[in-house]
Amino acid sequence: MAKISTKQSTLTRPQRWDSPFDPDMTKADVKKLLAIEEIAAIQADRFPARISLEGILQNDTRIVAFKKGELVVREGDYGNSAFLILKGSLRIVLSPSLPGAILGRAKEYKRGFFNAVSQLWTSNWLPETRDSDRYGPTKAGAPKNAASTRIILQDVPAILDKHSTATVDQGALFGELAALGRIPRTATVLADEDSELLEIRWQGLRELRAYDEGWRRMIDERYRQTALIAHLNEVPEFNHLNEEEIQLVADQCLFETYGSFDWHTSFKKLQNRSEADEPVIARQGDYPDGLLMVRAGFARETVRHGTGKRTVTYLGAGDNFGIFELYNAWVNPKDSNLALGTTLTSVGYVDVIRVPASVLAEFVFPNMDAPVNMAEQYVGKSQSNDTLMQWAVDERFINGRQTMVMDLNKCVRCDDCVSACAAAHDGNPRFRRHGKTIDHWLVANACMHCADPVCMIGCPTGAIHRSLSGGTVIINDDTCIGCGTCANSCPYQNISLVQISDAKGNGLVDDQTHRPIMKATKCDLCSDQIGGPACVRACAHDALQRVDFQEFTI
Amino acid sequence: MANRYLFACVVAVITAGTVLYMIGQMELNLAKSEILSGYTLLGLIVFLGAFNLRKKLSMLPLLKASTWLVFHVVGGLLCIFLFWVHTASVWPEGNYEIALSIIFYLVFFTGIGGFFIQKSNAIKLTETGIEVIYERIPAELSEIRERSEAIALECTETTSSDTVANHYIATLVWYFKRPRFYWPTLLGRGNAKTWLRNNQASVRRYLNEEETGYFNQLVELAELKQLIDEHYTLQDINKKWLLVHLPLSVGLLIISFWHLLLVEVFAI
Repeated sequence: MAKISTKQSTLTRPQRWDSPFDPDMTKADVKKLLAIEEIAAIQADRFPARISLEGILQNDTRIVAFKKGELVVREGDYGNSAFLILKGSLRIVLSPSLPGAILGRAKEYKRGFFNAVSQLWTSNWLPETRDSDRYGPTKAGAPKNAASTRIILQDVPAILDKHSTATVDQGALFGELAALGRIPRTATVLADEDSELLEIRWQGLRELRAYDEGWRRMIDERYRQTALIAHLNEVPEFNHLNEEEIQLVADQCLFETYGSFDWHTSFKKLQNRSEADEPVIARQGDYPDGLLMVRAGFARETVRHGTGKRTVTYLGAGDNFGIFELYNAWVNPKDSNLALGTTLTSVGYVDVIRVPASVLAEFVFPNMDAPVNMAEQYVGKSQSNDTLMQWAVDERFINGRQTMVMDLNKCVRCDDCVSACAAAHDGNPRFRRHGKTIDHWLVANACMHCADPVCMIGCPTGAIHRSLSGGTVIINDDTCIGCGTCANSCPYQNISLVQISDAKGNGLVDDQTHRPIMKATKCDLCSDQIGGPACVRACAHDALQRVDFQEFTI
Repeated sequence: MANRYLFACVVAVITAGTVLYMIGQMELNLAKSEILSGYTLLGLIVFLGAFNLRKKLSMLPLLKASTWLVFHVVGGLLCIFLFWVHTASVWPEGNYEIALSIIFYLVFFTGIGGFFIQKSNAIKLTETGIEVIYERIPAELSEIRERSEAIALECTETTSSDTVANHYIATLVWYFKRPRFYWPTLLGRGNAKTWLRNNQASVRRYLNEEETGYFNQLVELAELKQLIDEHYTLQDINKKWLLVHLPLSVGLLIISFWHLLLVEVFAI
């Protein structure tokens, strides 16, 4: 067995801006940016000294030039930045979407076969060892991220002929929805002419929003506007409408938010509250005034049962509430039983679009078949059928997209899953075979790669991010400063802070304070392994699965 | 899983049928059919052993381990059938052959036994209602021991009575010291629960209300420890059967290759 060294090595503690967005950004660039109208309007004195406006511009932004026809962002990619147009104009492809083949999606790094096998002898048997030489401030001229492969579309006029597009010009901000909302890009954007853009990584955008009232208003307003149009375009009930009609519908919709956008701060407190404490969006027995469409977050549907409330289902992004009652009211206006059959409450944070009944009557109901009464179906189920779902809602596991669930009746507790995880991560397991249980199910302490990863909200360096495609939540070990914000924000205790060591196993400590250098670690879904998650393949008893809780049934 | 077992069984039956047919044909031609059955058997043994190698190569997409297990189990059953075909008896003659047979049967029975023990223990472990990681059990027991000692001491200090403390020293210290009732738990007997119940009843009648409060806390810890003991026993056997099965399997592989070497050398 390998001995763990008790010796220590020193390292300068990693700082927030050790890895700037663009190491080549100069003071002159920052000065130039400060003269631009949108940035000049920012009140720099509102920013704290440690996060100055100049510091944000220098470290969290970069100036990127795009040639005519070059792709700026691609629909479906997970983005961690927003863009401000400094020069030129861009074109947003509205519908139909560009085919994936011409978008040339960037490939993510996967080990080759021999590289994967070599882990057998190259893995260090000492825990959490790192090559400490790779840490420290990034120098100007250092190689840039290879993932940002540039694609230039060859036949732009043909694209313009076949696809509906919109133009955005100098001074416009876009991409903030994906950057702050932790959701995929909703449209492809390409350069209409040679253009220059200011790309702001999400943590910089977050600071601009936090400390400048003007940017906060602009981002929030744009978020609401963009979210509404984009969502209406995606909803089957509305996708037969043309651009003008969509705008008419959008003008009459109400955009409602329950809970806070930065909801992670209250999340842990909310976890211990019952559904009785959740904000009510619509109440059972009330008459519906509009269709409720969930845009983001989660809502719980309950019915009165005995002296309490029974959770019958939950709604996530894309789900609707109240369509059956509204349709009935439209077909039989004199029917006396038109009240809502269930109550809808907000679970943490939820974005809801309220579409007035009059809009539905004009644009939707004439073109649709009679909807099914879902409430009646839910209530018809036995209470025991709801146990898992009720538990998942209470524990907020509904947020999980790759939740590690173990069937304890099959699990022989051999820990082959843990060993496999360790083998794929340089000898360090990235999850614990431990967690909350219900009946014979265990939800292990492994990153769930959430629909809304609240762990990303507070990260000062953006080290924790979504992968460009697939949306796996991963931590960049090089830029993680070990502040522990993500670990504290994760409501499921699925992120661990570990002390790192050099290759000989000597614990690394800060050269000034002599406090240990920490790094955040968690399951990365074996994103660089050729076979995918090793834990799932290693389970000889089919006890372990990675599940999307929205599709998981007992 | 059931579908995979069905598929593996079909493959096994086809393999067995083909081998039997070819043996029949070889015997009609007065050829040595033991060569065919022997090499098939050896190939199968090597395949069964490769399951352990697959576990070490978890970073490679070499099919799911659960699929390997299905073929490992069904392959093991096919192995015993081919062994009987190869030796033409259940118990061969000759000292070397007997030694080889003993190891073969031991590997087979530890494999089958371990498979069913694991399946059954998985459900028993779930039924305890708690989950403990095996390696954490000593730490959990140590924590329970510290808490129980603290309760006994506090009871003596606040009630000025040493009844609970005496009972703790005389009886519960032994119980809390390390995992107990290993074999009864393994055999599915409820000795631990009976022991706890009897020892509770014997002391409860001497306690006043305040002492009973402390004693109930101790009982709660003792019951928790009993569940952890159950985990210790069942998880321990789940791990240890492999420590028998695996070395025996390695031994079988070595002795089988030696057997092959002898056969091939004397064939010359």
